[in-house]
Amino acid sequence: MVVVQRKALTLAERLYLPEVLRGLSLTFRKFFEKPITRQYPEQPLPTDEVTRGQPRLVVKEDGNIACVSCGMCEIACPAYAITIDGGETDRGIEREPKKFEIDMLRCILCGFCEEACPKDAIFMSNELELADYTRAGLVYDLEKLKRPKSALQKRIDYVYRLNDRWRSKQ
Amino acid sequence: MTKIQINGREVEADPKQPLIRACHDQGVDVPMYCYHPGLASVGSCRICQVEVAGAPGQPSRVVAACRTPVSKGMVVSTDTPKAHDARRECLEFLLKNHPLDCPICDKAGECDLQDYSFNEGQGEGRSSEPRRKLQKRKSLGDVIVLDEERCILCSRCVRFFTDVTKKAQLTVEGLGSRSVINTYMDKPLEGNYQGNLADICPVGALTSKKFRFQARVWNLSKTLSTCGECSRGCSISVESLRAKEVKRIRPRYNAAVNQWWMCDTGRHALAPLTRPQAPEGAVLGGRLRGAAVRGYNGLELADDVAALDLAADMLAAHPGAVVIVSPFATQEEAKAALALAQALKATPQFVSPAPNALKDDLLHTGDPCPNRRGLVEQGFAALEPAAALAALAAAPSAVLAGERVLELLGHEGLAKLPTKLRLVAFDVETSDIPALDIAFPVPTHVEKSGHWVNLDGCVGVLNVAVPPPALVRRLDLQLAALTAKLSAVPARS
Repeated sequence: MVVVQRKALTLAERLYLPEVLRGLSLTFRKFFEKPITRQYPEQPLPTDEVTRGQPRLVVKEDGNIACVSCGMCEIACPAYAITIDGGETDRGIEREPKKFEIDMLRCILCGFCEEACPKDAIFMSNELELADYTRAGLVYDLEKLKRPKSALQKRIDYVYRLNDRWRSKQ
Repeated sequence: MTKIQINGREVEADPKQPLIRACHDQGVDVPMYCYHPGLASVGSCRICQVEVAGAPGQPSRVVAACRTPVSKGMVVSTDTPKAHDARRECLEFLLKNHPLDCPICDKAGECDLQDYSFNEGQGEGRSSEPRRKLQKRKSLGDVIVLDEERCILCSRCVRFFTDVTKKAQLTVEGLGSRSVINTYMDKPLEGNYQGNLADICPVGALTSKKFRFQARVWNLSKTLSTCGECSRGCSISVESLRAKEVKRIRPRYNAAVNQWWMCDTGRHALAPLTRPQAPEGAVLGGRLRGAAVRGYNGLELADDVAALDLAADMLAAHPGAVVIVSPFATQEEAKAALALAQALKATPQFVSPAPNALKDDLLHTGDPCPNRRGLVEQGFAALEPAAALAALAAAPSAVLAGERVLELLGHEGLAKLPTKLRLVAFDVETSDIPALDIAFPVPTHVEKSGHWVNLDGCVGVLNVAVPPPALVRRLDLQLAALTAKLSAVPARS
């Protein structure tokens, strides 16, 4: 059996008030320091290129979507969040998505779609906020997913850098 | 049969067959592009090269397994470094001009070139020359589109027309590296068997216009089934996307019925299978959503149990019913209809529309009744639509049962039937028929399981490829329920 010997209190501790003042002194000191909490959403979270936010589709400089609806992201998605229906287009690439839906409630932001894409058409953006009044509203369609390439450029450069590093190790 | 050795195993092989067939029969995988068991072998692709031991004291040789006959005591190895090297070198040349199109290619996922490149090929090309630039979207008629860049010139498509349909339409045009597949005089392809080209093409060069970019093949769930377009009953695979819509129908090998082929009529018969439902609450304008009973405002949706009670009462009150089933009725449905006909003291009959002009000497029989033989064997009498309509006009009451029975009888003729006829119909969809009193929905033949007997007596199986819509019950169960109700209803004097 373990017998815990209670520590005998000093006089200052037994007087109670000095210890209270010592504790409060910490509290008062913090009043004059820079706050470490953030006033979200007025002050949004800092993001940079390593942030894996929601996936977005690249619209190239010529205004066409880069996606050819090959279905690689759909099959790579571990959460079954992506649904694609392809169709024919008059462009040289022949094929483009007619329906491209990502169920953002299912998406786990793993970035597999970005990794699987053979056409550099889907990238993880820095957009993280997700709120709506209905579930259906959080199934994002083609129009909600399209982003100009310039908006995703930082992430695209980062992914290219990563891939180059992987290649050089081979 | 001759004894040969494949990969160190003593096996029996047929000397009349090429070596590749002996390997495949033994479960030894030998890749192939130009060889197809249904076509003459030409040995143009050289991907099937295997190593065959030479005579004693001689070095072994690498031979094309599709052009080498089986001979006594042959020692064959498919897995040696020499054989692998030969195949890898061959593959490198085949891929020299093949575009990296897999993300947009319809064949991706079921492409032989993709599979063998993954197994045997190298990751990167060594050629610094640009790939050939050719036509990407060349239409070859109404069914097939040709991508000349993807073609590896195996000439399976050329031989399909010379060997199977016996009417040559395609040829290899040009010489050497300028060879392309083309039709004679740039004429569009014709005939009812063009769709097979998309199946036999080992790469994505020939693709089907109807299926083009409709779905990725790995997302399709494949269900074994039987084609209902004629009495041949070709074995097919019904391929549906997300358990909702049938996207493609392809032939399935069946030595006794259709071998590897099927006609385009059956292949493209998707419209009756992907018919939309009627608008919410409506009876007409699409597939029946549930039982419908004639009220003051025409046919109205009703509870199916109440409708069945009503149908039993009506048929009991108007004895002398005529029972006519659809030629699409399965053996199981026919059995249930037979019991119903006995309960109603009626002669079992089925609609037998006139033969159509699609008859050819390969597969299509021209007879639009997939289960004619099965129905005749069960004791059903064939009835021309005109004779059926005459019998209906004279009858006090009638039961029409089975998929597309109303369509085959003719909606115009049905609309002219006297309204004193008490008519109960079980069909996928109905039109505005004044004589129709009660209608029940039935599943289509890709939404139910069952059996059809083709003209030669071969039994074809039907399986559920897509689930039927809610409230649509199996026809045989509905007919059995009606028969049970009829036996419970006391006969009126």
